[in-house]
Amino acid sequence: MKRRSLLGLAPITLYLGALTLVPLLSTLWLSLAGPGGLTLEYYREIVGRYQFGEAVGNTLGITALGLSLELVLGLAAALALAGTRRGRAAAQICLLIPLGVPTIVAAAVMRSVFSTVGYLNEILLRLGLIRLPVDWVGERALAIATVALADAWKVTPLMLLILLAGLEAIPGELYEAARTDGASRWRQFRAVTLPLLKPALTMALIVRGVDAFRIFALPLALVGRDLPVLSTYAYLEYIEYGSPHTSAASSVILLLMILLAVGSYLRLAGPEEVLR
Amino acid sequence: MRALRLAFLALAIAWAVGPLYLLVKVSLAPTGEVMTAHPTLLPHGLTLAHWRRLFAAGQVSAPLVKSLLTASLVSLAALALAAPAAYTLARLPARWRYAVLLGLFACRMLPEVSLALPIAVVFLRWGLLDTIPGLALSHLTLVLPVAAWVLTTSFLTIPHEIEEAAALDGCSAWQTLWRVTLRLALPGLVVAGLLAWLFSWEEFVLATYLTLGSKTMPLQVYYYLYQGNWFLTAACAVLMTGPVFILTGLLQRHLRAVDLAGSFR
Repeated sequence: MKRRSLLGLAPITLYLGALTLVPLLSTLWLSLAGPGGLTLEYYREIVGRYQFGEAVGNTLGITALGLSLELVLGLAAALALAGTRRGRAAAQICLLIPLGVPTIVAAAVMRSVFSTVGYLNEILLRLGLIRLPVDWVGERALAIATVALADAWKVTPLMLLILLAGLEAIPGELYEAARTDGASRWRQFRAVTLPLLKPALTMALIVRGVDAFRIFALPLALVGRDLPVLSTYAYLEYIEYGSPHTSAASSVILLLMILLAVGSYLRLAGPEEVLR
Repeated sequence: MRALRLAFLALAIAWAVGPLYLLVKVSLAPTGEVMTAHPTLLPHGLTLAHWRRLFAAGQVSAPLVKSLLTASLVSLAALALAAPAAYTLARLPARWRYAVLLGLFACRMLPEVSLALPIAVVFLRWGLLDTIPGLALSHLTLVLPVAAWVLTTSFLTIPHEIEEAAALDGCSAWQTLWRVTLRLALPGLVVAGLLAWLFSWEEFVLATYLTLGSKTMPLQVYYYLYQGNWFLTAACAVLMTGPVFILTGLLQRHLRAVDLAGSFR
């Protein structure tokens, strides 16, 4: 079989061409096609709306807060696991469990935790930390934090998994050398762990960041329409208001935001790490 | 330092597992224990009433069947479409291979809503809304890049020499493919198939766009959630999470084998 045939690539290429590339282009077309030719009218229309501004703000807020939470918790858990010997396998399985939970189930779980008559309020009441039940999804800033925390419950394990693999790839001799030179634990972390963990961090941040921008089920199920994000905004524009043009325009804006975020991150972190 | 680490791990495990315990508890709890000013944390009474209602209402069997059929269809079709691509990719020069894989990865970064809208518009015209093939077709767009990725790494672990040896022993090209290559790639095929199955089983966004009446399991959970019925939500959610954990358990064993194989190349 010397002949390098590319025929095997044909089915998947045709498929993704028909059901990914064509839809993507038609979304772009829908967002630009006015009655009398190409127009930016639909973009102007949604950008002028208060709700759309809220959706952009909520998406950015949930992404920034969620990513920071996941990064800190995931890194802490990965370091704690890496330093544990006895019972490590069992602890790791327990920590990874939420990753297997379907998103909509995670939303159901988190609703029973964060509801006014939910379990978080009950625990805080019993501990005497609050006097009255808190409405976790009432105020906008608090609702953003709640959604970010609920999302972190499900996806921090993914962060943990990627970072743990990164930690284990660091050769032990480097730490020995650092210790011989008299480096403190903090200095070892700064000088050895963090720089060598950078490729894993980049991978984790991109994979998770893209998902955070696209968040859909959690805000919809946990808070509802009062906390629009870009995905649910695009959805409601089409399903509720029957307006495919403005729906397309808002999903194009979401796509541009993702491209901008990934692009500028790679610019800052250096592109060589992904291409490896 | 050690005590601090153990305390942190204990808290983290409680945070990871606790909410799931609550879900199972709610699905089995008598009505008085939940949705009151002071819900109980430990189970005091157990009842199967909500589970009985879930099945008696007759609402859950149709979504169960639809989700099972869609996921199985997606899983088989993903293997059929992605395996030839992965086989070809594994035999390309590395630079070409990574260019194609990067392109596939880029497909996974697109927002679902930007694909779902035109697909829903076209499927409405073609009468594919609310159908299993329609949903499976849309799920494949998101599943294929991942399946191709997993299968390529698995085909990469099969050395060329084995195929050449089989050819020298008189196997035809098809026999080599069927008896040698595919057999050796079986763990990878199983992993890719299960991943595709799981993805379709729990997919929410596309299903929301492409469904008018006949719900899938995730939409059924959302329906109960929206209604505010905690007990049916919990029972239905537990019902759809069960298969996930069984399959993930199976997957874990195979994933190790694939990783092991992967480290040898």
